[in-house]
Amino acid sequence: MAASAPNSLNIRTYQVGFGDCFLLSFTYDGSKKRHVLIDFGTKALPPGAPKGHMLRIANDIKATVGDDPFAVVATHRHQDHISGFQRSSNGKGTGDVIRAMKPKVVVQPWTEEPGLAETANKPALKRFGDGADKRVAALSDIHEIAAHVVEAAQRGGLPREARDRLTLIGEDNVKNLDAVKNLMTMGQEDPVYVFSGTKSGLDSLLPGVKVHVLGPPTVAQSDKIKSYAKTSDQYWNFQARAMRAGSSLATSKGKSKVLFPRHVASAGPNYPVEARWLIYHARQAQAEQLLSIVTMLDKVMNNTSVILVFEAGAKKFLFPGDAQLENWLYALDGTNDKYKALLQSVDLYKVGHHGSWNATPKKLWSLFKKKSAASGQGRLKTLMSTLEGVFHEEHEVPRGKLVTELKSQSDLLSTNKLPNSDLFRDTLVQL
Amino acid sequence: MRNTRGSRHSLVNTQKLTIIAQDPSVRIGGKILMSEVDVPAEELLAGPRGYRVNVIDFDTATSTLYRPAVLKRAKNGQYEDAFALKKADGTPRKRPKRYDHKLVSDPTFHAQNVYAIVMRTLAQFEFALGRRVPWGSQGHQIHVAPHAFADANAFYSREHRGIFFGYFTGPSNRPIFTCLSHDIVAHETTHAILDGIRSRYLEPSSPDQAAFHEGFADIIALLSIFSLPDLVGQLLDRSTPRGRMISKAHLTADALKQSVLLGLAEEMGVGLSKGRESALRRSVKLRAGRPYMSMPEFSEEHDRGELLVAAMMNAFLEIWMSRLAKIGFVSPGKRDRSLVVEEGARAAGHLLTMSIRALDYCPPTDITFADYLSALLTVDREVVPDDKYRYRAALLRHFNNFDIRHATGADVDGLWKQFDGRELVYARTHFDSMLRDKEEVFRFIWENRKALDIDDRGYVEVQSVRPSIRIGPDGFTLRETVAEYVQIMTLQAKELKAALKITPPPDLPPTMRIRIFGGGALIFNEYGQLKYKIANRIEDAKRQTARLKYLWESGALDGDQQDGLRLARLHRARMARAERSE
Repeated sequence: MAASAPNSLNIRTYQVGFGDCFLLSFTYDGSKKRHVLIDFGTKALPPGAPKGHMLRIANDIKATVGDDPFAVVATHRHQDHISGFQRSSNGKGTGDVIRAMKPKVVVQPWTEEPGLAETANKPALKRFGDGADKRVAALSDIHEIAAHVVEAAQRGGLPREARDRLTLIGEDNVKNLDAVKNLMTMGQEDPVYVFSGTKSGLDSLLPGVKVHVLGPPTVAQSDKIKSYAKTSDQYWNFQARAMRAGSSLATSKGKSKVLFPRHVASAGPNYPVEARWLIYHARQAQAEQLLSIVTMLDKVMNNTSVILVFEAGAKKFLFPGDAQLENWLYALDGTNDKYKALLQSVDLYKVGHHGSWNATPKKLWSLFKKKSAASGQGRLKTLMSTLEGVFHEEHEVPRGKLVTELKSQSDLLSTNKLPNSDLFRDTLVQL
Repeated sequence: MRNTRGSRHSLVNTQKLTIIAQDPSVRIGGKILMSEVDVPAEELLAGPRGYRVNVIDFDTATSTLYRPAVLKRAKNGQYEDAFALKKADGTPRKRPKRYDHKLVSDPTFHAQNVYAIVMRTLAQFEFALGRRVPWGSQGHQIHVAPHAFADANAFYSREHRGIFFGYFTGPSNRPIFTCLSHDIVAHETTHAILDGIRSRYLEPSSPDQAAFHEGFADIIALLSIFSLPDLVGQLLDRSTPRGRMISKAHLTADALKQSVLLGLAEEMGVGLSKGRESALRRSVKLRAGRPYMSMPEFSEEHDRGELLVAAMMNAFLEIWMSRLAKIGFVSPGKRDRSLVVEEGARAAGHLLTMSIRALDYCPPTDITFADYLSALLTVDREVVPDDKYRYRAALLRHFNNFDIRHATGADVDGLWKQFDGRELVYARTHFDSMLRDKEEVFRFIWENRKALDIDDRGYVEVQSVRPSIRIGPDGFTLRETVAEYVQIMTLQAKELKAALKITPPPDLPPTMRIRIFGGGALIFNEYGQLKYKIANRIEDAKRQTARLKYLWESGALDGDQQDGLRLARLHRARMARAERSE
């Protein structure tokens, strides 16, 4: 039988390219291990990754965990966090491998609670508060909008770089139905849907470890979030309906709906000379608009991320998914001193959103007391799972300024720097 | 002598075109309310494509280019309006069958509608300012795309030299066209023109400047609509008993708020004008006398812009009533309905002109609502010194009611102080050149920089020199020349304190490059003497400190803001706003 507290934690950071996959293995006396898999997904594999790269990772997770107690945390619904949970029709997909490991429990944000999406009786509402169902409906609208954007990007005519970016972010937000269903049903116990302040569902799996849930907040937990959510939810509903007007998804033959078929002068590609300047610029403007929409909706989805702090021995480990500012608001606002105190003494930080500029709020970074210009024992450790060149220019990820700060103030492990031959890198911390 | 059209008479200056008065949801007896407006007459190519506007109907969602609208030349030299509900002599024409259906389903009408409203708005600016007005974007002709995207958005883009209107699916699954909404078209056109007159107002600076573009565009759009007698009459008809007379009980400020302002807000298309509908509704619902400008909920640009709209709309009602009071009653307690409508439309038209004229009297950078109020009052006194309908008193009162005070540098009555030019040297510049030549005005500034109190450390540039001619109530012309200069200085954050006593936000990286602005509008009278200098000094440490704090906190210094997309982003955010209760 395992002792009451672990004495070490190994964090295996898998090389998934642009995505997240972390296996936390707590070692108890007698070398017994207990594991938590936090996310398993990718949006872009590292260059030169062989076919079956993700399956190799799934098998490594399986081999590492073996028959040890094991749980899964899926921080949020983005493809780069959950695509690995997708099954294959031949039963040999990465999602099948993880499912066969029979995790004890699957932990997800409250927004994944299936009861909230149903129209009839909603006992779930009592738990998550007024507005929760609308938030979930908005997430569904967001999936639809993302599909519209991907479709618009692929329809042609847009500048190439914009098309690539739109496809990338759009596809990340398109609903990955099988992965969602798999997560919902793979656990031995009922899934746990968490929000700020609730129990994590991992307590019985990890004796001697306190797991604090700092986010996401529910709509009812903060007035600030209530107002933001109300505005945002109404908007996504409105936007989803609005975008149906130009989508080929609405037509049976997969063709775009032309507004005034009897007035068409040209369907291209050789437009009259006098119209070409405007056509070029209208398409540029359209690409900018679509990008602005997907950036907004990407943020909303990021903000459903589960934020966990694992407290073991004297050490604290922060795994915030891709939480952005609005998700952090509740944990960082003036009233939550206990969360602030917790964050101040964090020893290891999984860098939010692959190092983007908006997922490590200045307020959060300034709280970390263990960051230091000098390397040595006790210095903050940071883990960043990312891939350069996926985003460009002003939207670069990882953000140069942040990387510089992470390098100068912490021991940074970035998957970006791992050799192609490495499937993972371990970080062992004695507790 | 014969002119080019072969007639001995002068060519007509205006062309009548039919537009939708507000949007297709504003109806009389189930029929869309139309209006015939005057736009400047010009040679028109297919599009319509004229000397300032080029309508090209391309839909990016389906990569479809629609056939352009072609207006046929009539015998009288004007163009035929295929959608006219009046004959050439002004008498009504029978409404054709399925007329409304044709309006909504015929893109050539959509093209005519946007062309006419854009040109009418431009003409209103040119009339008010007494000169040709440039677009904010390069080129003489702005592109207008009436069905640019399948998206609930419409915006002006300086970079893309165009105004783009989206269409989207409404609640009944029918397409809704933003190009058919008068207020949206006028609003976007105003952005394009304001950007041409004051290009620095799109830069992030302060909550006021962020809100000004939007609030001002709303004001122009709404006053433009209320200046249509057809629409004012319709709103009054809906809320008052029919008849040629109208009781004075329906002509109080509260009654008019309900019938005219709220009436229009409720009529505006569902989802179509959501943001603007809200601004109009708020002008009725916001209670006067609260410290709005310092309330955190009014620091956000949309909400703050609504304060400007509320002040102007309430002033409009008071002025309307003030004009009615001069008319008297036809029978006890009753006024003639057509006169009431006419006076309302006239009051809106006058306020529209005043609102536009005020721009010349605003500083070219870092505008505040206070600056705008002082400009509004000052320019009106210049043109109409006696103010018999008490326009200025009404404006001052209602702006104050919404916590907008006049500028601190203004006189006690809120008007800008005239410049004391005793120290100025004119001998090294030439009167005639000063009317049009930027180099000459710069020379004037150079020779007089001490008297004008212009810091000579930074870069100074004269951005424009614009003659302005207006007709005063005495029938004489008022000629002014308006020149604007800007000052720009770029320093590292750590240098700000020592150089200019500016305190940067504590977290600002010390080596970050910070660009600060100053500048002024110089108003020369008809003798070429400086009458007003309306300026924001670059070395104003208090203003610059507040500006940097705002920029830092709003993320504008992070380098992730794209100025060119600001209006599109703003309009999208505005559409996304929730309905609020008071």
